[in-house]
This record gives sequence, structure tokens and C-alpha cells, in this order.
Amino acid sequence: MRVQLLATCIVDSLFPEVGEAAIELLVSAGARPVFPARQTCCGQPLLNAGFPAEARALALHTIDTFSDEAPVVVPSGSCTEMIRHRYPELLANDSRARGQARALAERTYELSEFLIDQLKIADLAAPQPRFIGYFPSCHLLRGLGVDRQPLELLEAIPGGSVKRLEPECCGFGGLFSVDHAPVSEEMLRRTIRQIKETGAELVVGCDASCLMQIEGGLRRAGSSVRCSHLSQALTGQEPGLR
Amino acid sequence: MNSPFLIEARKAIENLQLQELLDKNADTREQRRVSSLRQLPDEAKLRRRAKTIRRETISNLADHLEKFTARLSENGIRVHRASDAEQARRIVVEIAKQHGAKLVAKSKSMLTEEIGLNEALASAGIRAVETDLGEYIVQLRGEPPAHILTPALHLTKEQVAETLSDKLGEEIPPDVAEINRTARGRLREVFFNAQIGLTGVNFGVAETGTLCLVTNEGNGRMVTCLPPVHIAIMGIERLVPTMEDLAVMLRLLPRSATGQKITNYVSLINSPRRDTEPDGAEERHVILVDNGRGALLGTSLEESLDCIRCGACLNACPVFREAGGHSYGSVYSGPIGSVLSPALFGMSEYGHLAKASTLCGACLDACPVGIDIPSMLLRVRAATPSIDPYVERGLKTYAWLARAPGRFRLAQRLAALATRFLPTRAGWITSLPGPMAEWTSFRDFPAFAARPLRTRLHNMRLDVQPRSPEIEPPDETHPLPETDRDDSKVDDFVLELEELGGEVIRCSENEVVDRVVGKLYVLGASRVLAWGPVEPILFTLLQRLEEEFHVTLPELPVGAGRAELLAEYDQAEVGITGSLAAFAETGTVVLSTASRRSLLPSMLPAVHLVIVREKDIYPNMEAWLEAGGAHYVANSSSVTFISGPSRTADIEMSLTIGVHGPSQVIAVVIE
Repeated sequence: MRVQLLATCIVDSLFPEVGEAAIELLVSAGARPVFPARQTCCGQPLLNAGFPAEARALALHTIDTFSDEAPVVVPSGSCTEMIRHRYPELLANDSRARGQARALAERTYELSEFLIDQLKIADLAAPQPRFIGYFPSCHLLRGLGVDRQPLELLEAIPGGSVKRLEPECCGFGGLFSVDHAPVSEEMLRRTIRQIKETGAELVVGCDASCLMQIEGGLRRAGSSVRCSHLSQALTGQEPGLR
Repeated sequence: MNSPFLIEARKAIENLQLQELLDKNADTREQRRVSSLRQLPDEAKLRRRAKTIRRETISNLADHLEKFTARLSENGIRVHRASDAEQARRIVVEIAKQHGAKLVAKSKSMLTEEIGLNEALASAGIRAVETDLGEYIVQLRGEPPAHILTPALHLTKEQVAETLSDKLGEEIPPDVAEINRTARGRLREVFFNAQIGLTGVNFGVAETGTLCLVTNEGNGRMVTCLPPVHIAIMGIERLVPTMEDLAVMLRLLPRSATGQKITNYVSLINSPRRDTEPDGAEERHVILVDNGRGALLGTSLEESLDCIRCGACLNACPVFREAGGHSYGSVYSGPIGSVLSPALFGMSEYGHLAKASTLCGACLDACPVGIDIPSMLLRVRAATPSIDPYVERGLKTYAWLARAPGRFRLAQRLAALATRFLPTRAGWITSLPGPMAEWTSFRDFPAFAARPLRTRLHNMRLDVQPRSPEIEPPDETHPLPETDRDDSKVDDFVLELEELGGEVIRCSENEVVDRVVGKLYVLGASRVLAWGPVEPILFTLLQRLEEEFHVTLPELPVGAGRAELLAEYDQAEVGITGSLAAFAETGTVVLSTASRRSLLPSMLPAVHLVIVREKDIYPNMEAWLEAGGAHYVANSSSVTFISGPSRTADIEMSLTIGVHGPSQVIAVVIE
């Protein structure tokens, strides 16, 4: 099955290893991933910052880039949520793009969701002999209702063990992480405390943005615990987003 | 540039004591909310129904308001409409002046905070005293409430004791029970002497013109019953169409608010005191306040009017947990407050609140009526001018770059180049310039990839062996058969009431008199306040009680002269009443005021003894309504649901039994 990878701006620019791992996973699951070269950013940072006009322009660009009928797979709950729930609302008054937005929303999947619910493959994992704390990111969990899928994939890892962390926002929130930094810091501190209490040796999640916040905090705190995107953990990459 | 929210949030974060209290609030309330909702047999369905009810009500608000207003008038309640805060204040002050009122007893109402009513009354020379324990404390301190349900959330018991000692001029130890006792005593004088009782309204029932008030401490009952005049003030959106709809809301509101199945007291008020009734307010007013609400109808923020003020979104919000209520600078704080405040009071002053959120969605998850708060926060953000032009320019530049892949690629290359000049540790940047310095103040930031994903793809190992998909059969689970609730309703009632701290005596009809007399001796009671012989069993019981105890059948005079009598009634140790019905799900007894049934025996004494017949126990309010309960509601000026002894958790979330209402509830269940 042909699938289009929407890598997300964060993965493309900051964590290309996550994209590589996602491609590897899709291939081993029997899919044929392609990377539409004109992709940039889905526009979520702009919508969240209060610039719907700019976000709309990027939504139109993304719709145009992914006009192929193959399913779109995204290694991010947050960007998937943007496309699935926000695009149709953002373009509700655009008679031309409205239908395309809805169609794109319907064929766009978060990575773990695609592997488990569409391809129905759970045992893809390379060995990972670590105690993994699974971090359920907010938009993935609450926006998409995806929770058991990544856990199913992680539980299939030979030699590893998994515990789901309590869902608690890590304090990233896009621009919030900078313009409300003191609050973001307290929220991050809470997440890191929970990770320590769990004794997790590796934190795995499905959103590189949240993991960037968490690993950035773990590194600054001098912790040896690292974060990996689900795709990195499943393909046996060394711990750490980079 | 720092927003007003952030300036205050910083202070809140530095206040470690406040942080501890906020953590306690979030942990306790959220955990209780979730577990109490899970106990419902049909949580998801009920919440969907509640959402439908609220959406329908707000979509047809004008019709419901018209009906509600007409019913209120038919019921003898005077209706006033106020388009803004100023008008609402003026109406209240005018009514107070007409009655020459000097003292007003208030039960907690966020709307009165919204319109600044206490200040208006004060400048008219009228003293308004808050009677909810938490609200009483913040009023003494001259502070706004820190949470819509838990006004003194931000205070420790030491601070509370200090405030009370200071303001009341007596030494009060930092002990929650002692604080409670002191406040109880002080506020009784207020209840007995106030000429006017002032309350908010949790729900107005449009089809019957009924006002529904929920409280735990019992102050709401006293404020609506003891003073001769009752003024209820409500936002125009606080309606439900029918009694059945109210039953849905009453199952969700307390669970979402405090994790209780029901609040200790639910008052359904229909009319002023009737000729056959021994007490109750003789004059009732309802003030329907718009104050910006009507203007939201038909806009993209209309859904914010669905809010039933349970506070669940505050307790679930990770930002509220750090920043606390006062940081929002508005009576409505937390996620819903970040929508309501700008929507009602102005985008320019309050719009920045919408940015104080990570859009994590915990609020939407917690909302019993499914208000899509994150989407509305986005809409408020879009309507709020950026306070930082630097950030705005940066974002717009980013959008311009991302519209063209060539420009985007170039920007990626430049960013990767630039980050080479920044200090790093193990490949992560430790210090960023400009506004991004906020990021690296406590986190490292990943260096931009020298080679972004898009340039790496031709090197990808695309030769991994594909596997064929294995399809697993879906996991089949069989739902458990629904148990027949009817058989176990008496046991359930007993269990629930006992869980609330109530006591149950089960006996046959012949044993009632002996069991009650025995209980009164055990309690050491000498004075009893009771309903008259309105039911055969009470007739028999009263005959016997009058031989051995000082029994009073209370009745308040119309108009003045209540205070002395109330103080006398207040000497009774035990109150005895019958009941109209009982609900198994919540351990609730239902009392009406019809035909000489006084409210006082269940309100004033420390012990309330209530006689319940097994046949009158229904599974819940819905079942009772189906069996014709609404008829009884319409037949009396008020109906009260009582579930266990009165309680509060206003100070440090520590539960205290026995506030304004009884501290002991004993149900005598007749087989």
C-alpha cells in the first residue's frame, strides 16, 4: 500500500531521525511510503498563536501537497489532530477547499493508529532492553483518542517492559512554552518528577514536540533518561531524539 | 512582554504554600470527579444527554426565557430583567430599600461577584454577609474568591484562624472544626436577623418556574427560608426546559464539581410561602441578568453559555494548578473563565487569558456538558491582538517561509548554520538569543539538523523485508446483564446514607415510637422541633413524645418578629420530620413544605430524625418524577432533597461535618 509521509516541520528540521525511523517502520509493515517534497508545516503553530489567516494559507498548501489519494501518515498526534479536526473548521467557508479538507482529514492517520488500526500489525519492534515509560501526549490522547495503539506496539518489543505514565500535559503548548515559560517550567517539572518516580529508563511518545520539551528538561536537569519517538524506539535506535 | 496573567502566575508559582494547596485541590477533586462519574451505569450517555439539553436550551433561549418568566409570575414570584450589571445592582438596592433592610444574608453566587453587588449594597448602607464558609472568610479578608466552588482555596487553616481572630476580636485556634463552630455561631445571628436573603440560582426550570439551588453547608436553605424576603439573581442562560432535564443536570453537577453523588441539599423553590405553610420567605424576586450574555447568542462563543459552573475544568487544568484562580484577574477563572471573561467583559482586557493554555484538552474531557473549550480558546486568540509585536512579526515571517518549500528549505539551512555559533552540550543548545532565551532558561533546545529529513531520503535503506499483515480477531467482550435495581433499592438507600455519615434505623410500623423515643434518650435530648401530625405515624409519635419531651411545632409569624422566635427554636437538640420520598442512588430524603410541613426541624437542630417508608424509596430522581413526583414539587412552595449531614471542605479540603445544617441525620426506615 502506498502511503504519504507527512513528516511535520519539527521532525523535518530538528529530528530527521524520527522521520527515517517512521519510514523504516512503514516499510517493514509492508507499506510503500513516499515523501511529497513540497511539504513544509501544517500551520498549527499559527492557528494556536491566533493567526487563522496564516494557518489557512498553510492548510491550503498542505492540502495541495497531499492531493494524492493515498493515506497520509503523520508521526505526530498533534499535527494529525490539526488536519483531522481543525482543517475542516478552518476552511468551512471556502467552498472550493472545504471538501478537500474533509477528504484529507478522513485519510490522515497518526503513525501508531495507522499501523494498528489500518495495517493491523503490532509486532514490528526491534529489541529494546529498557524499562519504557510511555508518555500519552494530550492531542493524541484526547484529540484523537489514540492510547492503546502505541502501547500495543511497545508491548510487543522483545526484552522490554512498558508502563503508561499518567496523562499530564508536559507544558509545551507551542508558543506557550516561551510566552508562558514560568508556567511551562512548573508543568515540565511535574512531568519529570513523574518520570523519575516511575523509574523509566526511556520515555517514549508519539509527538516529537512534547518529547523535545521533556528531553530538553531532562538534559538540563542532568538526568541520563532520554526520550525517543515511538518510531525510534521500535526500530531500535539509541535512546534520545537525536 | 508579560501579560497581567503571567505577572500574577509568577507570584503564585513562587508561593510554595499556595502551590501545595493548589496541588491538593487538583489531585483530590480530579480523582473524586473521575471515580464518582465512573460509578454511573451510563456516564457517556448521560453526558451526551446533558450536552444536548444545554445546546437546545441555549439555541432557543428566548423561548425558554419567555416560558420561565410566565411561570414564575403565575407562581407568585416577581420577575425583573437587568440588561447589565448596573441595572441589576439598582434593582436589588431598590428592593432592599423598600423593605428598609439593613442586613442581607447571602449564599454564594458568582453572578453577584460578577456585578459587584456587595459593594453596591455597602454604599447604600446595607450590610451583606456571605454565609458560605469559604466565601465568608474571603469576604472578611476583602479578597475575591479564588475558585468558583472553593473560594478560600488559597488559604491555610492558620491564615483563616488569623483572619477570624483579627476580624471577630476573639482568639480562634487554627483548627478546622473550631473555625467552623465559630463561623456557625456568628452566621446564625445573620440568618435570624436578616431582612433579606440573597442567592444565586443553579438552574431555573422553564416549564414549571422552579428555582433550583444546591449547597452542602445548608446556608442556601436558610437564606431562602428564614428572612421574609428572598431575592434570587441568575444569568439568563441558567435554564433547563423540564424537571427531567434538571434531574440529568443534578446527577452530573455535584459529581463533576466535588465528586459527590449529590450535594447535601437541593432546594426546589416554586413560590413564596403559601397560606398553609408555617414558614418560608413571603416574598420572592428573581432578577434575570443579561450582562453580555445575550450578545453571545449566535456567535462562535455561544457554547460558553452552556456552562453549568461545576468548576471541573478548573480542577482538571494543569495551568490553573500552577497559576491559581487569582491570576486570571476575573471572577471566572480557569479554562472556561478564559473564554467567558473575554466574551462577557471585553477582548482587549481579558483576551490574553486565552493564551494561558497549552490546549491540552483536559477541560473538554472534564466538562460534563461537553463544552469545546479548546476550540473557543483558539477563537478568542484569533480575536485578540498580540501584545508582543516581535513575536507577531516572527510568526508571520514563519508563515511566509512555510508557504514556499524553497524558502522553507533555505530557512532550515540558515537556522542550522546559525545554531553552530550557539553554545551546545551533547548536540543540544544551552542558550538561545532573543525571545527564545525563555526556552533555554530551563531546558536545552535541539540543534537544527545539518541535513533535514527532506535531504536524506535518497540514502534511506528501503530494503527491509515487508511482512504480510496478520489480522487478529476482535476481542469479544460480553456486557454484564443489568442488575435489577428495584429489589435492592432499600439496601442501596441505607448504604448510601451511611456512606454520607448518616445513620439508619430499620423497623416495623409498630416499633417506630419506641425506637424514636429510645434514640432521643440516647442522644440526651430534651427539646424537640417537629412537624405537626400531618401523617398518621407522626400523630401517634407526637402523642407519646409530648409526655416526655419539650416538643415545639414551629411556625414563623408573617413579616417582622422572627429573630427571637428563631433563636428560641434554635435551642432544640433534635428535629423530627416525615418525608415525601427517598432516592436510593444518593441516600437522599425528599421533604416538602406542603400542608403545614415546616422547614425548620430539618434545618436548625444538630440532629435531624426523618421517617421514611420503604415504599417511598425510588432508585433516583428520574424514577420519582416518572412516578408523578413533579406533582408534589408544584404543590408546595419548596421541596428539599437532603442527603446526609451538612458539610464543608472549604478549608484545606478537609471535610467538616455539621456546618449550618444538622451534623447528624438519622433515617427511621419503616418496612
